[in-house]
This record gives sequence, C-alpha cells and structure tokens, in this order.
Amino acid sequence: MAMDELVARIIGVTKVYQKHKAAPPVHALAGVDLDLPRGQYLSIMGPSGSGKSTLMNIIGCLDRPTEGAYLLGGDDVAKMDDTELSRVRGRHLGFVFQAFNLIPQLTVQENVAVPLFYQGIPAGERNRRAAAVLERVELADRMSHRPAQLSGGQMQRVAIARALVNEPSILLADEPTGNLDTKTGDTILALFDELHAQGLTIVMVTHDPGMADRCERVVRLRDGLIDVDEVGGKRPVTSSSAV
Amino acid sequence: MIAQLQIDPTQLIEPWTARWFPQTLGSMLVGITCGVLGCFVVLRRMALIGDALSHAILPGVVVALLSLGWFGVQLDGLPPWFLAMWLLVGALGAGLLTAVLISLVQRKSRAKEDSAIGIAFTAMFAVGLILISSLPRGTHFDLECFIYGDPLAVQTPDLILMGVVCPAVLLTVALMYHRFKLISFDPVVAAAMGVSVAFAHYLLMGMLASTIVAGIKSTGVILVVAMVITPAAAAYQLTNRLWVMLVLAGTIGALSAGLGMSLAFMVNTPTGPAMVLVAALLFTLAVLFSPNHGWVFDRLRRLRLARHVAAEDVLKALYRLGPQPETGYVEPIGTETGLPPRKLVKTVARLCAEAVLTIEQGRLMLTQVGKRHARELVRAHRLWETYLVNEAGFTAEEVHATAEDLEHAHELSDALFEALGRPDQDPHGSEIPRREPG
Repeated sequence: MAMDELVARIIGVTKVYQKHKAAPPVHALAGVDLDLPRGQYLSIMGPSGSGKSTLMNIIGCLDRPTEGAYLLGGDDVAKMDDTELSRVRGRHLGFVFQAFNLIPQLTVQENVAVPLFYQGIPAGERNRRAAAVLERVELADRMSHRPAQLSGGQMQRVAIARALVNEPSILLADEPTGNLDTKTGDTILALFDELHAQGLTIVMVTHDPGMADRCERVVRLRDGLIDVDEVGGKRPVTSSSAV
Repeated sequence: MIAQLQIDPTQLIEPWTARWFPQTLGSMLVGITCGVLGCFVVLRRMALIGDALSHAILPGVVVALLSLGWFGVQLDGLPPWFLAMWLLVGALGAGLLTAVLISLVQRKSRAKEDSAIGIAFTAMFAVGLILISSLPRGTHFDLECFIYGDPLAVQTPDLILMGVVCPAVLLTVALMYHRFKLISFDPVVAAAMGVSVAFAHYLLMGMLASTIVAGIKSTGVILVVAMVITPAAAAYQLTNRLWVMLVLAGTIGALSAGLGMSLAFMVNTPTGPAMVLVAALLFTLAVLFSPNHGWVFDRLRRLRLARHVAAEDVLKALYRLGPQPETGYVEPIGTETGLPPRKLVKTVARLCAEAVLTIEQGRLMLTQVGKRHARELVRAHRLWETYLVNEAGFTAEEVHATAEDLEHAHELSDALFEALGRPDQDPHGSEIPRREPG
C-alpha cells in the first residue's frame, strides 16, 4: 500500500471565534496542517482548550474552518454549504460518541440501520447490511434487543456498528471509552485495533495517555497548533512490511 | 363585568351551520396543523420562539397590506388568493427579519438568547401596532380581530391561506417525519447521520410562521401560540410515541378550535380566548387522567396497592393468631398488622365478601382459599428472608421489616425458591411451607 494515498488533507486550517467586534478573537485553531493516509490509526490528544474538539468537528464536517482547505475524497469540504456537508457526513464519515447515543425505542439492528435510512436505501438491504456489520462486532445474537438490555460495552459496539454501516472513509471516535470501566474500555480498544488491522482509517480524540502505545500516530495539540506529531507504539504499515 | 356575560345555549350549534361552517372548518384545520407542529416545538423546547414568531409577524402582515396602497392597488379588485399569498410573504419576511434581529442582538450585546428573543419580538410587535394606525381608513383591518381573533373577520383570502398552508405543512411533516424525529430527540446523532439540522430548523420555523399567519384571524396574535403549545403538551402527557403524540395533538387542536367556536358563539366572546380555554381544559384533563403519568390513575394505583397490602397483612395475622372472636378481633389483629380500626374493619368486610375470610359460630377465620393465600405469603416472607441473609449479606435480625414489604411480591416465590436451592428453613429456623399442589 502506498503511503501517499491520502484520505484527507488539512491545509492551513484556522478556526476563529469572535463574540463581537470589540471582543478579542479566540483562535481555537491557529493554522493546522495534517495529512491523513488511508488506513492510519491516529489519535488526537491535548489539554482542554487546545483545539482538539474543534479539529475533530472540522474533520467530522460538523463545522467549517475560518480559513484554509480541507480535502476529503478529492473535494474541498471547507467551501461546502450545510446541506452538502450533511451529505458528506452521511456518506463518508462514521461517528462514535462517548455516551453511545443509541435510540432507546429501536432494536439493535434498527439502530445500526438508521444511517442507511437517510440515504434512501430500501428496507431489505438496510437490514441485511446492519446484520452483516453486527456480525463484525460480534453482536449478531443481540440484534432484536433494545439498548437498555445491553451492557455499556455492548452499547458502544452497537454504536461502532452503526458508524461502520455506511462503509465510511474515516471512523471518528470522541472519547469512545470515556463512559466505560477500564476493562470494558480495553475490549472496545481491542475492537478498534481489529478494525484498523482490516484497513479502516480511524481518528480518535482521547485523554487516555495509554492510547499513544496503541495508535500508529499521535497528534498533540497546544493552543490551537500541532505541538507534537509522533509515531506511536505501533509502527505504521508500510509497503515493505505489508508484503 | 362577569355579571353581564350573556350565555345563550342556542348559539352552540351556530358555528356548525352553513353560514359559519367554512370558518369553523378552517379553524379546525389550523388547530390540527398547530397541534402537529407544536409537538416538535414542545419537544425541542422552542415555545418561547413560537411566541416570538406570532407577535413578530404582525408588522409583516401590516406592511404587506400597506404596500398594496403604495402600489396603488385597490383591495377590492384583488383576487383573494393573491391577497392571501401576499400576506404570507409579508409574514414570512417579518419572521425572517426577527430571526436575524435575535441573532444580531445576541452577538452585539451582552443579552443572552432569551432576552434577545424578548427584545426582538416586542419591538417588532410595537412596530406593527404603530403601522396599523397609519393604515388608510378604508382598509378592512380590525386591530382587535388580529389580537383576539374573530371568525367574522375570516374571509375568503384567509380561508384560502388555511386551505393551502395546512395541507402543505402536514404533507411536509409526513415526508420529513423521520428526520424531524431524530433531530427532536438526538440532534448530535442526527447531524452525524447526515441530516442537516440547520435546514430542518429553518424549515420548522418557516412552517410555524406560515401556520401562525393562517390561524391569526381565528385565534389572534396573542393566543395563537397557545394553539401551538397546549395541544402538543397535552398529547405529551398521554404517550411516549411520537406518531401517537402527533395524532393526539392534531385531534386536541381540532377539538379546541371546534369546541372553542361553539363556546365563543354561546357566550358571545372572541374566538381566540374561547379556543385557548378549551385547549387549556383538555390539557388539564390530560394531566389528571393520563394512564401513565396522570395524577388520578397514579392515586388510584397507590390506593389499590395500599388495599392489597392491608388485605394480605390481615390474612397473615389471622393465619398466625388462629380464628378470632367476631366481636373482639380488632384489637389483636390491629396490633399485629398496625392497621387503624376503621381500615381494619373495612378490609375484613371486603375479604369476607371475597370469601377469603368467613365468620362461623361467631368466630372470624380463614376459608380454604384464604389459608392457601396466607401460606403463600408466609412462604414468600421466609424465602425473602433467606435470600436477604444468604445472598444480600444481611444478618437474620435485620431482615424482617424488609421481608414484610417484599412478601407482597409472592409471584416471585417459585423463582426464588429454585434460585436459593430449595431451602427448607428460613434464617430464624422456621419452616418454609412448600407450594401447595394445584
């Protein structure tokens, strides 16, 4: 696999918040460059206020940069309007949240199928794809359960299945183990490892210092800038090692 | 003066006669639409915005009317549909302007969102009131009807507006149902799934403004927001399912409008207050009588449970103490159960009627059915004590009171018996009765 095959490129991105004209502008991001190769497992770290949530929101197309370009699948997302951004989120990105955010009234299978509904995919195919992806996270036997009948770890795996069902280019995870005990958190991280080994591109925001050993690459932010961009404990999969 | 309120019951059916039926039907259509849209307003906690919108569109409507004069257009020569659409355009423009004003005030001053809304909509309303006084004399513009609502003032353009806006809004809600649902309950997930939250928000606002314009003549500016919020809030008392809530809110909205018309004709008052009063009444009924969250059923449930517990306590006391003299059971059983004499006598009477207790030769005793039930209770009590000591780590001395509560859950006894490994004795060494066959 060629390292220069990029899923996403962030070029000179800034995000400035200004309450009103007289107020001093807040540079949440002060000029960030970041290339994301396909299949990379990247974690974003940094103290609160460092801009990591802002960067995550921009990578996730939930927010637009003030300046700079964000190339995702060949398009400059920074120039898109809200409707186009929504479409990009629905088709190309998968989200995993700290609080799982499952819909309590729906079954596990229905929860996983929700993103496909908004793309107008027929019911039969929705259910089939949801079942297939639940198989991948080893929850095939829980398809007709409701979220309340599951443990925290299982709920997060359902959320991961939901994020995967549209076959996203990037899986974004915001503190995915924040609501779980250490042991359950480890099983979720093991699942991320496995998905990464299958070639998925993952971007994770985390406080957990142990993550540095699990990821290929750790980006540490400070005051809206990339402070450290280091190779983590796991070596990147290069063309030579992959063969 | 309340003393001068004229009540004429013969007027009750007047809104349903051919003369007023179109107005009544139109108001009910607006009631349905307000109720349905109101569900999203209530769930997304935008009631204040709804109130703001209704006031803010007044100047829009007035400017729309005034502008016809500027262009030298005669109102009388105008096709009614054009006037209806022109008013709609004015209202939507004013709604948009208010939204911009709110965000402007919020960004440029220290005012938070609620204050910004309060400032913007009252200012718009004030502009509307001032502009009304500058309308030419000939214009059919009755301030009172705009504020309080008046079916006499509902004319062909208004009916056209109702007939176009309401079906369009209901159709849009049906088409966007799943998106609106997800946005109402979890906007974060909705955004992540590729639903445009901003688009849905503005669509909702636009539909709300349109519906308010359609309903403004029958309900009035001040009270139209009640038709949005109250039926939806009443429906929310009755169900947890969104589609049921939409149907109920629409129905309550239609009922409020229809019955409100009758009420208004009967007591000869403006229609707006009458409709809102009916809606508030229906809301109160929903609060009292909701099967799940209602005050009345909640009280009934508690009462029934208290009776059930009292009856079972009496059974167990008689089982333990043996038959008691008909004239002297109150004292020993009262001491045993802690029931006050009056409640005890009532409970015993009820149990006799149910043939659980019987009086033979002046002695109060358990019937065969009563004995079996009492044994069940003793069994449950001792099983729960065993559970509390063996599994939950209590000492034998502290478990009696808790088991006294738990024994009423005797339907769990069999499962408990098995889970505890079929014990013969409770922690105090008393025998645990076996389940009677049959």
